[in-house]
Amino acid sequence: MNKIKISGFVILSFVLVYIALGIGQAWINPFFPASAMEQTILWELRIPRLLIAFAVGGLLALAGSWFQVLLGNPLAEPYVLGVAGSAASGAILMLMMAAGSVWLMSAGAFAGALVGIVIVMAFVHLGTGRLLLAGVVLAAFWGAFITLLLALMPEHDISVAFAWMMGDLSDSDIPVAVLLIVWVIALVYGLFLSRSLDALLLGEKHATMLGVDVPKLRRVLLLLASFVTAIAVTAAGTIGFVGLVIPHLMRLVFGSLHRMVLPASAIGGGLLLMLADAASRSVIAPAELPVGVLTAMIGVPVFLWLLLKKT
Amino acid sequence: MKVGRHVFEIRGLSLVRGSRELFRGLNVEAVAGSVIAIIGPNGAGKSSLLMALAGMLEPVAGDCVIQDQAVGGYSKAELATFVAWQGELPPTEFGLTVEQRLNLAGTGDVDSFQHVIKEMDIDALLLRNLAELSSGERQRVEIASVMLRDCPLWLFDEPTSHLDLQHQVTCMKMFRTEAQKERVIVTVLHDIQQAASVADQVILIDGKGGAECGDVKAMMKAEKLESLFNVKLTTVVLDDGEVHLPDYH
Repeated sequence: MNKIKISGFVILSFVLVYIALGIGQAWINPFFPASAMEQTILWELRIPRLLIAFAVGGLLALAGSWFQVLLGNPLAEPYVLGVAGSAASGAILMLMMAAGSVWLMSAGAFAGALVGIVIVMAFVHLGTGRLLLAGVVLAAFWGAFITLLLALMPEHDISVAFAWMMGDLSDSDIPVAVLLIVWVIALVYGLFLSRSLDALLLGEKHATMLGVDVPKLRRVLLLLASFVTAIAVTAAGTIGFVGLVIPHLMRLVFGSLHRMVLPASAIGGGLLLMLADAASRSVIAPAELPVGVLTAMIGVPVFLWLLLKKT
Repeated sequence: MKVGRHVFEIRGLSLVRGSRELFRGLNVEAVAGSVIAIIGPNGAGKSSLLMALAGMLEPVAGDCVIQDQAVGGYSKAELATFVAWQGELPPTEFGLTVEQRLNLAGTGDVDSFQHVIKEMDIDALLLRNLAELSSGERQRVEIASVMLRDCPLWLFDEPTSHLDLQHQVTCMKMFRTEAQKERVIVTVLHDIQQAASVADQVILIDGKGGAECGDVKAMMKAEKLESLFNVKLTTVVLDDGEVHLPDYH
């Protein structure tokens, strides 16, 4: 059964990659580009950009699945809980103070993400309702904070604002290769933790009794989720709901164990964001939609449906 | 009861939960092959005693010693090889199936897995989602998860509270046979008949700061239980011992 599902997933992945490469302002057959021009567009524009989308989407989905275990709540996600917003705030703050350095921006995003998660964690024990409410309010706060920072920026640039607030894959500050390496490291490290993550699905006490050092695992997850969120946000701004929709979908298909959920999410998140990006380039071509608009259009109904289903 | 090696020892244990003292000065010696029942009113500290034995609650005084070392001195991973615990039902939000939940408890041994799911009557439930089960079914899954772990000490927190009569009996019989395998089984029970028939030793926690451990015959006396629970009991003498029935009038 699992073999059939995995084969299906792999085939579907190839089809989706084919489609994502092909669509755009003009259709290009990825196997047989019709002209040298198309070849150039394919290799120098579409492929690098889709690789960025793939890595960022995968990282967001991984971060989402870690958030969900860390907070013991399947509705947790960096964007919904305002952590993407706090990471973006940190990044923009660093951008203003130390213009130009991608690594300082990433460090700012990391610090921002950590602050965001720590605040959110104070609400975990109050149950899903208050956790999500706190997340919504925090997201609004960070949104306002980003707007404030942008208003204070010397060259007030509306497109920069859009990039940070709605996600933009056209120009990553972090090189594609670095993103892909982080994707691999995050996935491998996640798999290394998968047995402990599975145990944590049973709750803190059961996990402890199965030999998991829960406080240590929480610290590791906290840092890991912050790091991955920070990288994704620095590369592409705040893109919502990938981390929510994908792990949920993968659990439905492959079950809850992390040795399946993590790789499937890392790939599935990547594919979803590739498709969303391809669509955002095509819908109103030659203009582009911010990719976060599309993921929100898909993600919000799914999120609401999950909320309805839970009660 | 076969007298074997010590599995654990509780020395002068005092526990506090929040700002409330649960009990003080409890002493227990547990030898392999015995079943120990914990009895007492709600909120007296029965579950907390299990937590202390499992290393999840730090005592304010005294020690729980497993194999010559205080529980607090072991890492969680080491402790997991000694102790298995059945307590609260795990959350269902993440959609684990019964089989996945059991696999998380460990053991790759197919034979013992088959034996356990048969004994707990959950073989037909394996592919079901935990969220779809009744509380009794979920409790059987939790009991099975402990049985899958070949540890010298098994802790059960009201294992029969949701079980029907058939499965209550199964569970009590299982305690007797499993204890023979050089284990100690410590179980919180509310049913004094079950405690009297399955336990070798009984720990009484009175909810007023007192706790004592003794042989089942000495502890399950009508006077003791009447004052412990503040009820009237009628004692019926049978061929193989006494039964205490509560008076509902």
